[in-house]
Amino acid sequence: MDLLAQILVNGVLQGGLYAVMALGLALVWGVLNIVNLAHGAFIMLGGYASWYLYTYLHIDPFLGLPLTAVVMFALGYGIQRGLLNLVIRAPMFNTLLITFGLEVVLTYLAQLVFSADFRTINPPYAGSSLALGPLVLPVARMAAFAVAIFLTVGMWLFLLHTRLGRAIRATAQNLVAARLYGVEPRHLYAMTFGLGIALAGMAGTLYGTVSQINPYIGASLTAKSFAIAIIGGLENPLGVLVGGLFLGIVESLTTLYIGQTYADVASFGILVLVLIVRPGGLLGRTT
Amino acid sequence: MSSSHTGFLSRLFLLLITCVPVFAAAAQDVVLGASVQLTGPVANTGRYYRDSYQFAVDKINAAGGVKIAGQSHKLVLKLYDNQSDVNLSMRQYTQLVTEDKVNLLLGPFASNFALADSAISEKYKVPMVQGGGASDQIFARKFQYIFGTLAPASNYFGSTISMLKLLKPAPKSVALLYADDAFDVSVAEGTRPMLKQAGLNVVLDERYSTNATDFNSLLSQIKSQNADVVLVAGHETEILNFVRQAKSLEVAPKMYSFTVGVPSEDFRKALGRDANYAFGMTPWLPSAELKDRWFGDAGQFAKAYKAKFGYDPDYHAASGAADVEALVQAMEDAGSLDPQKVRDALARIRFDSLYGPIAFNANGQIELPQMVIQVQGDNVVEIYGLKGLIKQPKYPMPAWNQR
Repeated sequence: MDLLAQILVNGVLQGGLYAVMALGLALVWGVLNIVNLAHGAFIMLGGYASWYLYTYLHIDPFLGLPLTAVVMFALGYGIQRGLLNLVIRAPMFNTLLITFGLEVVLTYLAQLVFSADFRTINPPYAGSSLALGPLVLPVARMAAFAVAIFLTVGMWLFLLHTRLGRAIRATAQNLVAARLYGVEPRHLYAMTFGLGIALAGMAGTLYGTVSQINPYIGASLTAKSFAIAIIGGLENPLGVLVGGLFLGIVESLTTLYIGQTYADVASFGILVLVLIVRPGGLLGRTT
Repeated sequence: MSSSHTGFLSRLFLLLITCVPVFAAAAQDVVLGASVQLTGPVANTGRYYRDSYQFAVDKINAAGGVKIAGQSHKLVLKLYDNQSDVNLSMRQYTQLVTEDKVNLLLGPFASNFALADSAISEKYKVPMVQGGGASDQIFARKFQYIFGTLAPASNYFGSTISMLKLLKPAPKSVALLYADDAFDVSVAEGTRPMLKQAGLNVVLDERYSTNATDFNSLLSQIKSQNADVVLVAGHETEILNFVRQAKSLEVAPKMYSFTVGVPSEDFRKALGRDANYAFGMTPWLPSAELKDRWFGDAGQFAKAYKAKFGYDPDYHAASGAADVEALVQAMEDAGSLDPQKVRDALARIRFDSLYGPIAFNANGQIELPQMVIQVQGDNVVEIYGLKGLIKQPKYPMPAWNQR
């Protein structure tokens, strides 16, 4: 019984991390209709940014989150204005190709610049934990989970209640009407992409404190984020949180009862099921 | 008219420059071909092979190269980057043999690559000496042209398990985790009967998918089963995650041992203090007792290697350098460059190298015992070998909050 409870806790904490990873992907996909295959590569870059901040400037990874976010936002804004905007009206296949190319370029640039060595963001508390009866709660994972909740709810409120957030949603729903009301799509798209990349960067920070960073982690993180975004739905950040938690718990339970090698089978199996039964995602509208 | 004229002239000129070196060289160069992971997820270990191959080739050339029938031949290394992609590596080996017409082959890193690429050397009957694949599967197919200088995967935990009997309090239960690839499955298959023979109770025997990052559930199971000993056969990235997550979940068995990571400097650096107490194994340590014709001894090899590349060599690097030496020794023994004759010489080969005594069994694999090593503070300490206990292991491992 203790074991099952611990496994569920592990799943929930892992799920929080998953949610942050997928948040940016879902935002960009939902608003710009770009499936950003380089998303995982941006997570990787965010991880390196925090690693440098922590290792050389001794800035705590969690305190450095805003800094990482700003740097990554600027990068994302620039890439959208200078590169992706050129193909924004092209068929989806073109945007897939260009983001795939971006992924390759970023990954190999990362190997050139950072080398293939493994990096871990390892502040003193990264390995410590709290005891709650028989349960062990790792501090870094709890902090990552708190950040995940904060960012998800923050995104949700931002999209719902701020002028910029409403403009982003309006553009996603009806571009022509949004333009008539004075939305400037080029700037807005770049803002949205920048936000998505900032979220990816922060996910990289959290990932680096609980796991390890090397130039090649991106591709599998993109795949995972993709599954979570589909399972949760693109309309609402809360959906992504639900998707992440759901996947984290399912994977933990699969590992316990069936075997770790089936964890991916379970998560991508659920992806297929969701696509068949609820194509809009768990929290999305059924159409 | 004039354009075809200049075309002819430039071609003539090109012909002249390409011919000059051939006339200048005293004898035909011997080209060794290899496809190695210089980029991609395994680039971190792949670099050992790039660096050690080139290092050995340069050293042997500086000493006069290969002497065949009274003539000295220079060694040339033809190296491709397979981007950590097995299919690409197979194409590159095919290209090395059929288009580049290399004389002999050196191997890639990792068992799954060696398993696939050895099919190419077998097909074209060009011997390949590889120091990167240890899986028994590579040598179970009665191939004639593949030789391996890594100790058999099935026996990686052999010395560790025989050491367990000497530990006090004696460990009783074991958890075995392994990744689902050729090398690690071979390790697990070899480990199970040894655990049974040692009378140890296996409380967990789990396979996990390669590149898994979340070990929390497996760790929670290890904790709830109260396993004394945890043996993990996997890749460095997985083992990094395993140790970090073990710490955060306060999972501290009496000991844990890993097939990879502990001998490598980069791995220990990434974990920092948390690498402490981890056991591992290596068939090689840079000892001055291992004499070598070209490098003097293994100690000198390690020193020169570090000076040149800026990081410590581990057994992968020593194994890679020994592969080049084995090919050179075999060519000299055979007195020929003929692949068939070199292959026969490799099957009979017997010489001392910086890596240890090189000889291949009937399947083409070396037989080398593994030494048990442990991270103690900043050092990797040799704990247990053929001669028994060398240094006292730090056992049992203290709880994470008592370090």
